[in-house]
Order: sequence, then C-alpha cells, then structure tokens
Amino acid sequence: MGQCLRYQMHWEDLEEYQALTFLTRNEILCIHDTFLKLCPAGKYYKEATLTMDQVSSLPALRVNPFRDRICRVFSHNDVFSFEDVLGMASVFSEQACPSLKIEYAFRIYDFNENGFIDEEDLQRIVLRLLNSDDVSEDLLVDLAHHVLSESDLDNDNMLSFSEFEHAMAKSPDFMNSFRIHFWGC
Amino acid sequence: MAQPRVLVLDVPEPPGDQDQEPSPYEESEVHDSFHQLIQEQSQLAAQEELELQQRQLVAGALGPPGSGHQTLVGPGGAPVHSTATLRILASMPSRTIGRSRGAIISQYYNRTVKLRRRGSRPLLGNVMRSARPSLRLYDLELDPATLEEDEKRSLLVKELQGLSVAQRDHMLRGMPLNLAEKRCLREKSQVQRGKWRGPQDRAGVFSCCSRLRYACILALHSLGLAVLSGLHAARPWRYALKQIGGQFGSSVLSYFLFLKTLLAFNALLLLPPLAFLVGVQAAFPPEPPGPAPAFTGLELLTGGGCFTHTVMYYGYYSNTTLNQPCVPPRHGDQCSPRASSLPYSMPLAYLFTMGAAFFITCITLVYSMSHAFGESYRVGSTKGVHAITVFCSWDYKVTEKRASRLQQDNLRTQLKELLAEWQLHRSPRSLCGRLRRVATLGLAWLLCLGTMLGCSVAVFVFSEVMIQSPVSAGQEVRLLALPLVVSLLNLGAPYLFRGLAALEGHESPGLEVYVAICRNLILKMAILGILCYHWLGRRVATLQGQCWEDFVGQELYRFLVMDFLFALLDTLFGELVWRLISERKLKRRRKPEFDIARNVLDLIYGQTLTWLGVLFSPLLPAVQVLRLLLLFLVKKASLMANCQAPRRPWLASHMSTVFLTLLCFPSFLGAAIFLCYAVWQVKPSSTCGPFRTLDTMYEAGRVWVRHLERAGPGASWVPWLHRYLVESTFFLFLASALLLAIIYLNIQVVKGQRKVISLLKEQIRNEGEDKIFLINRLHSIYERKERSRAGRNEEATMSPALHADRRDTW
Repeated sequence: MGQCLRYQMHWEDLEEYQALTFLTRNEILCIHDTFLKLCPAGKYYKEATLTMDQVSSLPALRVNPFRDRICRVFSHNDVFSFEDVLGMASVFSEQACPSLKIEYAFRIYDFNENGFIDEEDLQRIVLRLLNSDDVSEDLLVDLAHHVLSESDLDNDNMLSFSEFEHAMAKSPDFMNSFRIHFWGC
Repeated sequence: MAQPRVLVLDVPEPPGDQDQEPSPYEESEVHDSFHQLIQEQSQLAAQEELELQQRQLVAGALGPPGSGHQTLVGPGGAPVHSTATLRILASMPSRTIGRSRGAIISQYYNRTVKLRRRGSRPLLGNVMRSARPSLRLYDLELDPATLEEDEKRSLLVKELQGLSVAQRDHMLRGMPLNLAEKRCLREKSQVQRGKWRGPQDRAGVFSCCSRLRYACILALHSLGLAVLSGLHAARPWRYALKQIGGQFGSSVLSYFLFLKTLLAFNALLLLPPLAFLVGVQAAFPPEPPGPAPAFTGLELLTGGGCFTHTVMYYGYYSNTTLNQPCVPPRHGDQCSPRASSLPYSMPLAYLFTMGAAFFITCITLVYSMSHAFGESYRVGSTKGVHAITVFCSWDYKVTEKRASRLQQDNLRTQLKELLAEWQLHRSPRSLCGRLRRVATLGLAWLLCLGTMLGCSVAVFVFSEVMIQSPVSAGQEVRLLALPLVVSLLNLGAPYLFRGLAALEGHESPGLEVYVAICRNLILKMAILGILCYHWLGRRVATLQGQCWEDFVGQELYRFLVMDFLFALLDTLFGELVWRLISERKLKRRRKPEFDIARNVLDLIYGQTLTWLGVLFSPLLPAVQVLRLLLLFLVKKASLMANCQAPRRPWLASHMSTVFLTLLCFPSFLGAAIFLCYAVWQVKPSSTCGPFRTLDTMYEAGRVWVRHLERAGPGASWVPWLHRYLVESTFFLFLASALLLAIIYLNIQVVKGQRKVISLLKEQIRNEGEDKIFLINRLHSIYERKERSRAGRNEEATMSPALHADRRDTW
C-alpha cells in the first residue's frame, strides 16, 4: 500500500482546492491522507488513480445502496483521480449548495441514463433501498405511480431535471440526508 | 388529471454493443450517442422502405401510389419517428440541461448575466408579444444555444470577470463540472489581475524585499499545514456527533444537537449575571449574619446549609450602592483617595441584568425558531410526501452495516404503512368502524386527562402537607420529599401514556409520537403550574418574616438536582438493565429503543426549571450547564452500549423545529410570565436581597427614574421615555396593532403565493400538452415528406420496370 510522503501537497494547491470546492482545509488534507494510503507506492498524488472498487470499499460508501451509481457518476473513464475524489467529497459535504446536490442526485438516480427518471428508474431505486427481491409488484407500481402523479408536472410519465429539482427543493430532508463524511479523521 | 399520452421512442438495441452503452454523461459522446441513434434509425428506415418497395413490386400494385403505403412501424408496434424529428428531439433543452458540458456552461452564463442585470427589469414594450406569456421574455439575441462550446466558454469567462471575487468563487464552486474545468475557468477569469502584478515584480527595488516576504510566508504556511492536520483531535464534540450520526441516523442525532443548543442558551444566560452581579458582589461582600455552617455533603442535594449565604442566592445581594465615593466625615479631613469611585447601584443592576438576560434569550430563541421554520417548511409542502420518501429517506451519513440494515427495515415498514394508508383512503371505514374509533380515542384521552388531573391534585395536596409541617434546621432532608414525589410522577406517567397509546393503535407513527409528546407536555406544564402557585402564592405568605426568595431558589436547585438523579436512574434501569434482561432472560436480540420524545421533553423541563429560578439564584444556569455536560456523556455512553435507533423514525428536519417551538412556547413563555408576575406583583421580603425596602421589585426602576428627574434636565429623555412608553398603555396597543397588521399581511402574501403556484402548475401542464402536440405534428409532416419522396422514387423505379412488365406481358 502507498508509502508516499505525507505532505506532498503544496500550499498553492491547497488554496486552489479550497477555492474551487466546498471543503475546508482540514477536510482536504484528510482526504489527501486517505488517498495516499490507498494509491500505489511511489506515485505522485496528482497522477495516481483509484479503481471504482477501491472507492466503493471506502468506509463511507461501503453500505450505501447507490455506491455503484455514485462511483459511475463521479469517475472519469472508470477510474478516480485525486481531483475526482475531491469533487465527490465536495458535492456530499455539508456546505455544498442545494443546486449542486440536486444536480448530482439526479444523475445518480437516473439508472438508465436517458436524462429522465422514469418508472423503471423509480422501481429500481425502491428495490435498491429495500435491498431485497421480496418486494411485491403492487408496492412498486403503486409507489412509482404516486411519485409521478405528484411530481410530474407536464404529464409525460417521467421526471425531468426541473421537476426533480422542484420536488427536492420543497423537501428540507434532502439536504440533511444527502451528506457523506469521507475523511477518516 | 388527464391521461398522459405516452411517447415511446422505440429504438432497437445496437447489435454487438450491449455493455458499452454510450453514457450521456461522457462529455465528448453526448451528441455522438444520438448521432449513432440517428444513423441506426435511418438505416432501419431505408431497410423498411426497401421492403415496402419489394412488397409492392411483388404484389404488382398498379394502382394509385397512395393506397398501398403504410406508416412506418417499428418492431414494438409503436410509431417510429423520422431521423429529422430525432435530431430535433435530441437537442431539446430539457434533454440536455444538466448533462452536457456545453449546456452547463450556457446555463451558468445565463445565471451570471441575470446576476449582473438583477437591478434592471426589461421594459414591457420591448419584449416580443406572443399568445403564450411564457415566450415573452425570450431574448433571441442572447440565446447561446446557437453558439459553439468555445464561444460559450469565452462568454462565460467574460461574465465571470465582471463579478466580485467572492461571488465568482461561489459560482465556480456550485458548478457541476469537474475540477480541471473549473480550474481552467478560474485561471482564465483571473488573467486580468495577474497582469497587474507584473510591473511590480519587474522593478528591481521591490524584488528582494518581496522575495524575503514570500519566503517567510511560505515557511509560516508549511508550519500551519502541520499544525492544522494535528488539530483535529481538539474537536471532541464533532467526532462524537459524527459517530452517533453514523451509527444511529439523523433522528437520534437531533437529540444531541438540541442538547448542544441548550448549552449555548445557558451559557448566554449565564454571562450577564456573572459579569454584572456575581463578580461585583463577590468583590464587595456584605456582613455575614452569623457564623457560616460547616460543609456537609447534603448541601449538594438540598442547596441549603453553607450555600445559603453565598453569591448563589438572591439573599446575599445588598440593596445599597456599592463603591460609593467617600463622604468626608468632618470638615477639613481629606478623603483617602480611592483607585476608582464608580458607584454601582446593586438593586438597579440586579433588575436590569435579569431583564437584559431574559430579553437576549427571548430574541435568540425567536430568531432560531423562525430560522428553523424557514428551513423546514415550504408552501404546499404537506403534499408530495411520497417523492420525499423515495428520494430523501436514505440517510447517506449512515456507515455501519447494522444501522443500514435497520434503515432498510424502517423504510420497508414505512412504505408498507404508506400503502395501507392509500388503501384506506381508497376504501374508507364504515360508519360503525368510525364510531368505534372515535369511542376508543375519546376513552384514551379521558383516561390521560384523568391521570394528569390526579397527578396535579397529588402534587397540590403534598405541597400543602409540606407547608403545614415546617422543617427545622436539622431535618433538611425532608425538604427533598416534594422534588422526589414530582420526579416519580414525571417518570411513571409517561409509561402509562405509552400503554394507553398501544391500546389506541394509531395507524400513522408520526401522529402517535406527536400525541405522546402532547400528553407528556400537558402533564409537565400542569405540575409546574401547581408548583409556581405553591411558591409565589403560598410560600410567600407563610414565610413572611424570612427570606422566601432564597427558599424558592433552593427549591428550584433541589428540583434540578433530583431531576438529574432520576434521569441517571432511568438511563441505568430503563436502558442498561432492560438490555441485560432482554438478552439473558428473554433471549431477544432486540435492544431497547432510544426514546427521543421523552428525552427531549426531559431536557425542556430542566430548562424551564432553570428559567424559573434564574431570578432567585443567579448561578443556576451554571448548575444547568454542568448538568447538561454530564447528561451528554451519560446518554452517549448508554446509547452506544445499550440502545438502538427507534423503529419508527420521524422526519429529522421537522424535529429540530418542533423542539425549538416547544422550548419557546410553553417553556419560555411560562417562565417569562412567572418572572413578570414575580417582578411586578409580589412583595419582596424585607430582610434580605436587593429589594428589601421596596414594595415590588420593579419599583427600583421607578425610584431611579424619579431620581433622574430630580437630578436635572440633562438626562430628561429617560424619564420621558419611561412615562410615555413603558408606563402608558397606548404605546403597547400601538405596537400590538402593528404586529397584527404585519402578521395579516404575511398570511395574505402566502395565500397569493399558493394561488400563483397552482396557476403555474396549470401552465406547465398546458405546455406539456403543447409539446406533445408539436412533436406529433412534426412527425406527421416529416412522415408525409418521406412518403411523398418514397412515392416519387417508387414511380421512378417502377415505371421502367412496369413498362418492361407490360411489354413482357404484351
């Protein structure tokens, strides 16, 4: 496992990361440490990459039912660079603005990646949340139907980004629940 | 709601490419994916055309070209749109928003433009007129959809340069792009400032000084880096709260956050008396009335004994002006010069400090309550509970496997209950069932109210008994009887209420919790009301010659301590012992639940006692701070070891609002009423305290105002203010009328907003139907074009063949 130097990061880089993300300096340093522990030995942290499996097995994401979607949305070419990890932590941090969280939540919940959350996506979300195959069809269909009848404003049987944004802006629980602490300190 | 007309884009799967689906989130492949789609579609359409032509050739269709034509039908039987339609659909804003980089950049460009132009509104005469009001503000000149991505980026950079640094950074942080792009945008928009720094560096005079300065700064910064990363150990709260949130979820975390808030309130309440009363009086101690009794351990429980004549209680404070400049006793004698001669009127200081402390607490409480309300309630937010359940119910903070499994169970129960509720809505209960339900509810409430009445009567009777049998000096332990009885009742009654709730059998768990809170709250408030009457009504009458304020202060101290002890006992027996019993004897794996409602109400009760007692014991908030710290440690330890999260969670966001509201309305309001009554109406005792010679405590203020009047015309505005604003009732009526008017206005604004929301929803629905209509028209137009083109091709190919055929047959 990584035996890289502890303080590879320069002050200017730290300042820049702090200006471009919603993380505090302490959090960025902790993520830096965690990243160095996982990356292969001897590599400069800006060039090292982590696989999706490595990121999925981080303690913060291990039990999350949407971890594969999270990894897919935030990675580039199926690997995570340090900046990808920072971007992910920034979106899930406490200080992130609601519009950013809603944007990425929409991407995470869009399983079939067609730009909309349709009934199929909703049913898959519910199945993932309950984590069992022993869910009655009635419940799934009913739930999807109710969600759409409330949030689908233009009657096309799918939730577009604006409709999702509108539904989530009404709910203060969204901001509370869409938070992950990535650092180990 | 009208039946939705479903558009199905039935696109055949690419043959060998199943697992490499082009994701729309790959920036370079967004339009490529649709390009592929369009290519396949055109291939398919060409194939279909060919088949159609062959079929018609074989069938020997000599008739008019229009009859044999069928609409192009895809494999699923759904209408297939032509390539032109697909191309247009692919670039619709609703499908590209939030996905492609170009769309994000243009969206943020629009946002920055709006930021700059916020002040000015476009004149109505300049905008285009159209039938649909939604198109009115559409400015074609600024529409960046027609530009290339690089041009869009340069436009965005130009806009970013126009913003201030803080705004620009905030905008960059909130953009859903990856870090490299953001860095690029930031560098580009900073280029201008970089140029200005150039000339300074080139001048040789500044270079060595600036280099030295930069070296020092860098060294300091690397030291700072090392210190920062070692500082994380200095935040114990944060780690504990993170641990609790990760293991038990947001609902249990809200209890601990509320505890932290209460600590902050108490610290705020402690500071003014500490600074202005305790410190000053400790510097000028009055004459002790007699020898101080020895310290026995009982003082910590009863608050009496050697604690009586200390800064802790009201009776210690003097009623004179301290630190007065000395009056020379005889003519000619010099006064020994004192270091400072600031006269300090203790009665006035006592009254004003207590008033100011309460006022600050009131303002802070109302502000935090309105802030919490603003965050957790939205206009029309009671609907839409199902979308919330699906999208917000998973708490991403949870990191333990056990807790995540618990969350899944909770969610399953919640969804099943929701399903049951919908079914109930669809098929409401029969009349007989409803009557039975009403009867059960009525009976349960009657029993609860009876219990509360019984408890209140018991407390009243016991307090009268305590008055009848006065306590002599050596038997102070008997003073603990009343707090003991009250704490026992407070402990036992909630269990009774829980049993009654199980009997009632509510369907919705949220309602059950709120009803439980309501009942416990009414009980506690009733008991406290009886106790307030006992203290201010009966005790004042019976303790005429003695210091009744000291006694009331000590009573409240005793109540606080006894409540704390019972909380510890309850944690020990209710959680630890119960867990041991259920694991060993009953062999159940289920740990006891952490009852959030009861614990929060205990906290609120303790805080009410503190607020009631601050006037008579200025150091009581310090006792409460100690109590809360110990409670935090004990509850956290017990939670980690013995409990599990509640099986029926509530909405975490609403919880903190509810807690703060409960803290403000019954609790703080009751304490404020108690305080006002004590200050305005009750005669202070004549043997102790800062107000011994006055009729009411408030008179100290009136005496001072009259003193100011006599002093001279310099400070005449204070008596004027006092006479016309505080003493007269007209000002109060005016202020209340203004407040009512503001509330009425706000209610009307909210009503108007609701109406606007429903109108906008209607408009969106109409736009959706318009969109479907236009797409279908587009499709039919292109279809007709294709058909006519196919027909012409057919004629061109068929006519030589036909002629050849005819020639053959001839």
